[in-house]
Amino acid sequence: MDYIGKFPNKLGRFGDFGGIFAPEILMPALDELNKAYKKYINDTSFQEEFYNILKHYSGRPTPLYYTSRFSEYIGCRVYLKREDLNHGGAHKINNVMGQALLAKKMGKKKLIAETGAGQHGFATAIAGAYFGMETKVFMGEVDVKRQAYNVYRMQLLGAEVIPVKSGSRTLKDAINEGLRYWIAHVHDTHYLMGSVVGPHPYPMLVREFQRVIGKEIKQQIFELEDKLPNAIIACIGGGSNAIGAFYDFVNDEEVQLIGVEAAGEGKETDKHSIALGLGRRGVLHGAMQYLLQNEYGNILETHSISAGLDYPGVGPEHCYLNEINRLIVGDATDKETLDAFKKLSELEGIIPALESSHAIAYLIKNKDEFKKDDIVVINLSGSGSKDLSIVSEHIKFKIEPKDIL
Amino acid sequence: MSNQNRLFKLFNDRKGNEKYFMPFFVAGDPSIDKFKEIVKNIEPYADIIEIGIPFSDPIADGPTIQEGNVRAFSSGINTKKALDAIKELRKFTEKPFIILTYYNILIQGAKTIEDSINITFKNLKESGIDGMVIGDLPIEEADLVLDACEKYDLALIFLVAPSTTEERLERILTKARGFIYLISVMGITGARETVAQVTKDNISRIKKKTNKNLPVFVGFGISKPEHAKTIIKAGADGIIIGSAIVDIIKNNLDNFSKMKEKLVEFHSKIKNSIK
Ligand SMILES: Cc1ncc(COP(=O)(O)O)c(C=O)c1O
Repeated sequence: MDYIGKFPNKLGRFGDFGGIFAPEILMPALDELNKAYKKYINDTSFQEEFYNILKHYSGRPTPLYYTSRFSEYIGCRVYLKREDLNHGGAHKINNVMGQALLAKKMGKKKLIAETGAGQHGFATAIAGAYFGMETKVFMGEVDVKRQAYNVYRMQLLGAEVIPVKSGSRTLKDAINEGLRYWIAHVHDTHYLMGSVVGPHPYPMLVREFQRVIGKEIKQQIFELEDKLPNAIIACIGGGSNAIGAFYDFVNDEEVQLIGVEAAGEGKETDKHSIALGLGRRGVLHGAMQYLLQNEYGNILETHSISAGLDYPGVGPEHCYLNEINRLIVGDATDKETLDAFKKLSELEGIIPALESSHAIAYLIKNKDEFKKDDIVVINLSGSGSKDLSIVSEHIKFKIEPKDIL
Repeated sequence: MSNQNRLFKLFNDRKGNEKYFMPFFVAGDPSIDKFKEIVKNIEPYADIIEIGIPFSDPIADGPTIQEGNVRAFSSGINTKKALDAIKELRKFTEKPFIILTYYNILIQGAKTIEDSINITFKNLKESGIDGMVIGDLPIEEADLVLDACEKYDLALIFLVAPSTTEERLERILTKARGFIYLISVMGITGARETVAQVTKDNISRIKKKTNKNLPVFVGFGISKPEHAKTIIKAGADGIIIGSAIVDIIKNNLDNFSKMKEKLVEFHSKIKNSIK
């Protein structure tokens, strides 16, 4: 298959998906961003600077770790791509350092970002501190409550957290409010999009900054196993950790690419975030994509135990990969996710983010699909330390945080 | 646009240097019946009536209009009911109706985007609508909509912002129908206190490039008769007021007759200020 480098086209399209459905007032800024991206993405000094930040500041390359006890439990050779070991505790750092560096080159002074789990907001706050750029993070009021620890961390880094009270008060509303703010401050401010969503050029730009994950996996798996993996599994919120892990393998058709969405309280309920699996084509936040929406095109409220997957849409490139049957789409419920969270913690001494736990849950559910010698890579997109307050409401022990504190 | 389109007729029959006032309402705010009654009450003072078809995620709108959308949704509005209400209003007036909405609202109803647009635009036409503003549809993405507008004799009205470059402006002007909707300042909708210099500068910038077949209307932020006057004096052909009107609705939710009274008073003041 000859896919890499072909998409998006000039208008930001991945097949019918993507595009630039943005208010006129933002078009010049999106154009400026696109031009800057083209100028710098192949510029060796930019690439070198970006690479050095990832290496010395974030600690890349992250390990590709062979699990022995978890592999035995699953019944095949399972590797974890340890994005949780990045500075900041998630893959989000790759994207924010890339975009902030680009923004700096463009002469922008300020950063704004939306956040769901708080993970992208936290990463943006890190970039703001690193580059000395004033940072504002828009976050749904519901998410502020369920991610109090991340809110505190962002503020420690000097970022301003702005609780969003409109709509469902979660990630999509934080994006709405961030875009509104950007409309009025576009001259000196860069909107640092947190996933492969939004109008062109964001889905392309974020993918390129996250590609480092898959490039490393490819090199590492050849060193360790001297062959390609049978499957790569990643959770999909907007889809940035997944596309980052998948992209350099798209041409290798023997590698299954499996994206796992949040089934929340169950596929058959209306409390889930399964945009690829159950959504319908539509336009939100600047791009044509699969969306959870009603018959009139109004966006539905979604649910997931992990704020980072609680989004009614999904990146346009995943929609396209799904349409051309290059992507396998799976899902995991809140309950399956919590079980996976606990399982990995106990078997490997690694506490995974709730988002990443969806990918683990998928493998646990589908372990019989894989043979003993099969190699499966799970993209462990983040660390679960941010999730402890939520998890402690579900997984109980003799001594509970609430009894002590 | 054919000579049967009400917008075409309005501008074709323009008397001298007549100036226009286009108020904006959210369909279904504060309820479907009250919305209809409000429009009937202010109709004598409006030259064109702009009606928002609510969308759950209106990214170009400020808090006032978002709240209007929320009230409308609570009153049970959806696209079908909004169009039914407009159809009824059409029985009472021959003034042009423009809808304001977001692209996702217009691409529902069939399997493909093309078929959906076809179905929707047929409905728009049959509801007595003359044109539309789509908050998130730039010229780059407008081909399907332009074709459907041609087919159903509707005007696609383009937004132009202070940030719109000369090159983009040229492209927009070749496709624009009805009038140009000039966004007064870099920002979202919402009532503002003063008229900025950039608004005046942009009116002259755009007016230089347009002729009398494409009037220039200015919107976003206008909240007082003095603003309207200043903008008209700067050369605009029309003014658009949204948030200031939705604010009057919001501030008088507990007394409908007072709400109507205040709205009529406001509309008549604005209309007089631009005469
Ligand atoms: C650890 C982690 N993984 C995954 C995601 C989901 O985002 P994406 O699908 O863009 O990777 C998030 C989002 O906040 C996250 O924090």
